[in-house]
Amino acid sequence: MKIFHFKKVVSLAEAIQAGSRSSTAQRGAQVRYIAGGTTLLDLMKLDVEQPDVVVDINRLDLNDVEIMPNGGLRIGALVRNSDLAHHPAVQERYPVLSQALLSGASAQLRNKATTGGNLLQRTRCI
Amino acid sequence: MNGIIGRTLTVEDEREIPGDVHITSGRLTRRSFISRLGAAGAAAAATPVLAASQHAQSTAPPTSTEPIEGALHLQLKINGEIFPVAIDPRTTLLDCLRETVKLTGTKKGCDHGQCGACTVHVNGRRINSCLSLAAMHEDDAITTIEGLGSPTNLHPVQAAFVQHDGYQCGYCTSGQIMSATALLKEPCGPSDADVKELMSGNICRCGAYPNIVSAIQSVRQRGA
Repeated sequence: MKIFHFKKVVSLAEAIQAGSRSSTAQRGAQVRYIAGGTTLLDLMKLDVEQPDVVVDINRLDLNDVEIMPNGGLRIGALVRNSDLAHHPAVQERYPVLSQALLSGASAQLRNKATTGGNLLQRTRCI
Repeated sequence: MNGIIGRTLTVEDEREIPGDVHITSGRLTRRSFISRLGAAGAAAAATPVLAASQHAQSTAPPTSTEPIEGALHLQLKINGEIFPVAIDPRTTLLDCLRETVKLTGTKKGCDHGQCGACTVHVNGRRINSCLSLAAMHEDDAITTIEGLGSPTNLHPVQAAFVQHDGYQCGYCTSGQIMSATALLKEPCGPSDADVKELMSGNICRCGAYPNIVSAIQSVRQRGA
């Protein structure tokens, strides 16, 4: 794994500012946000990802699952897969989402993996 | 150990096995024995190389007192105890536990989150410690197999693994037990298939799966 600078942030503004130092958020990004880390660290160990800065966003307040007035759900970027799968509103109204989450990875990985990380995951299977 | 081969281990047997704990006074533990064996082998293999080099350096492994460039200084709460550590930012929680804090009960298998040998609890939830940076856990309560029970006071899951013979070589066992203890508090159906599904993140190359499941089910049925 290449050496990097580790930065912990506690506010959204701080996180955005840290990320803005990267010229891209795509492949080869110089700054990477880390939440669960289950994909990022895996790729960094293989030198596929080589960020200069790793920004720990685990202390940001993005852990809520909110029921919206229009009937939808707003899921925080840091909501863990296991928490989302077992959330009563998801189980009741979106059972397929719950089943899909519980079909992925292992219990240990689901406890770490986040909703934001899932959406931004650098997939290797396509 | 020879005396107990060929029959199921009992709790009493297990208590006599030193395992990874450096508790003996003058007694040879498995770890100290293998370390000495490894050092002797390395010295023998390295002799021709060292003889050929005029600038031969000490082959001793780096010690924890050696300064680390760009080290992060943090405090980790492990098994209820605070450990101040100075680590390279790249250090995973697994490597920090094993190499820095010297808690070697947590095992490294694949180092990519696939085998579960490195499973520990963070704030009561099981995770793969190989896919987490130690620096991400400064404010967390980390529990390893060393914090679960002791040889004289086994956790009910540890006792059940002994009673049901839930292992052969034992390498995956600490991860299996950390997973199993976390499973007790997770939503899990009653059947063996439910347990197998939730234990699917822990691989056992010896194939002790049926006994692992029966050990876990026995604890669940007792309501422990």
